[in-house]
Amino acid sequence: MLEVQDISVSYGLHEALHGVSITVDRGEIVVILGANGAGKSSLLRAIAGMSDGKVRGAASLNAQALIGQKPDKVVETGLALVPEGRGIFGTLSVGENLTLGAYPARARAAEKDNLAKVLELFPKLKDRRAQIVRTMSGGEQQMVAIGRAIMSSPDILLLDEPSLGLSPILCQELFRNLAKIRDTGMGVLLVEQNARQSLAIADRGYLIENGHITGAGSARDLANDPAVQKAYLGATSY
Amino acid sequence: MDVVISGLLLGGAYALVAMGLNLQYGVARIMNLANGEILILGGLAAFWAFVSFGLSPLLTLVIVAPLAFIGSWAMYKLLLRPLVRRAKTRGQLEVDSILATFGISFFLVGVMVSLRAEYFTYSFLATPVHLLGTTVAANRLVAALIAAAIGGALYLWLNRSRPGMAVRAVAVSPEAAGLVGINVDRVSAFAFALGGAVTALGGCLISTFVTLDASSGVLFTMKALIIVIMGGVGDIRGAIIAALILGLVETAVASIIDPGLTLVAAYAIFLAVLLFRPQGLFGQGNA
Ligand SMILES: Nc1ncnc2c1ncn2[C@@H]1O[C@H](COP(=O)(O)OP(=O)(O)O)[C@@H](O)[C@H]1O
Ligand SMILES: [Mg+2]
Repeated sequence: MLEVQDISVSYGLHEALHGVSITVDRGEIVVILGANGAGKSSLLRAIAGMSDGKVRGAASLNAQALIGQKPDKVVETGLALVPEGRGIFGTLSVGENLTLGAYPARARAAEKDNLAKVLELFPKLKDRRAQIVRTMSGGEQQMVAIGRAIMSSPDILLLDEPSLGLSPILCQELFRNLAKIRDTGMGVLLVEQNARQSLAIADRGYLIENGHITGAGSARDLANDPAVQKAYLGATSY
Repeated sequence: MDVVISGLLLGGAYALVAMGLNLQYGVARIMNLANGEILILGGLAAFWAFVSFGLSPLLTLVIVAPLAFIGSWAMYKLLLRPLVRRAKTRGQLEVDSILATFGISFFLVGVMVSLRAEYFTYSFLATPVHLLGTTVAANRLVAALIAAAIGGALYLWLNRSRPGMAVRAVAVSPEAAGLVGINVDRVSAFAFALGGAVTALGGCLISTFVTLDASSGVLFTMKALIIVIMGGVGDIRGAIIAALILGLVETAVASIIDPGLTLVAAYAIFLAVLLFRPQGLFGQGNA
């Protein structure tokens, strides 16, 4: 279980995130909805040990403290982040990206099983193992990014706006795959602006505005909440 | 034909040195202007061991590699790591590391001059060998073969092993490397140290057929830079081809026009590359 308690992030004098607390359990999808600049990426990067700002507060995974750890240590505790822009090795091959995903010590024993899992989830990658990642389409690169994260055997998978730049059909496929990943027992924390589709697969959700959590609830309640409909489901249509 | 063979043999040794600089610049992001001095230190060690103890330079290699590794590692940890920590951008680290390593290069030249102010000349395997219808000095041939063996082993390690893959991963993207659990600090220090060891080995080999002295490091730094930029930063295959081209052109100019013009030829290639293929021979824009 990932527990984030009272995390604040500031960049110089500007505080972008103010005392945010959330939890994510294994086997559930939790979505954080918020507009551009609300602080979603700041939160995920702080948890993953990659913040450029000053982080206060606490976060733990399986009772191990995360804040103040370098990204490589955070991965070893069982958390994998697919950052905005995917963070893949563009000039390396698909196979190399996946092999590198299994670099953490915790992932070595299950490397074969995880690879089978990834190829089952993304059969397209099977005959693309030798392809250089940056020559692939956006949707395929997203598969590599998620596949690589799964290779590190995470308990909790963090995704920063994975649907960004994908066509509606690819978005659908992506969200369906995230649901499948959840069904393998992994916890998924998803940050999105695409409220309709992410709420459709999520179990729970949080609303974030200007660095504050302004609402929380089950995905169904959030989807039926008039305020949410107005802010996230009304004007934006996918 | 003579020119082609000797050119390729010279290029083989250059390729090894460029591999060293590539590891330091491509992975640890340190543009090491003291690279040439590390090479000369390797040459000085080979000279000294040969003259004092009659030790074959091929045996000195085995001693030089770990010493250069440890020395370079210490140089990174003590002198360069603070710059890495404080740099906010890659550009800033580049400027800082250029200034710092430039200073270190002067220090090393001073140390070497105090150890031996004259040329390091010794005669090792200076016998002619017949090769493909021409004659070359055995030392050149042996140096090129050993350089090829070391370079080949390094290439395989980088491409086939998981730790080697981690080194390349840091070169491609330190941020993504952190995300897959690679300790970027540790791998950077390792790559810098490995680069120093490879460079010093190149120096040992080159000293068997080139007369070096305490202050000739800067020439080799320039050559390595030319090769790395011509080959494309981080592109080992590119660096090998570039090194062979430089070796060929230098040898051709020296034997056909005038030995005094080799450096001019090197700069002419450099200029041509910067003008026409600034991304390197095989580069496709920014990696
Ligand atoms: N590295 C940074 N340096 C300075 N300010 C930043 C940095 N990253 C984000 N911010 C600021 O923090 C706020 C939240 O940004 P971010 O977390 O990226 O929001 P979101 O991901 O929800 O769009 C914004 O005002 C943004 O300008
Ligand atoms: Mg963002």
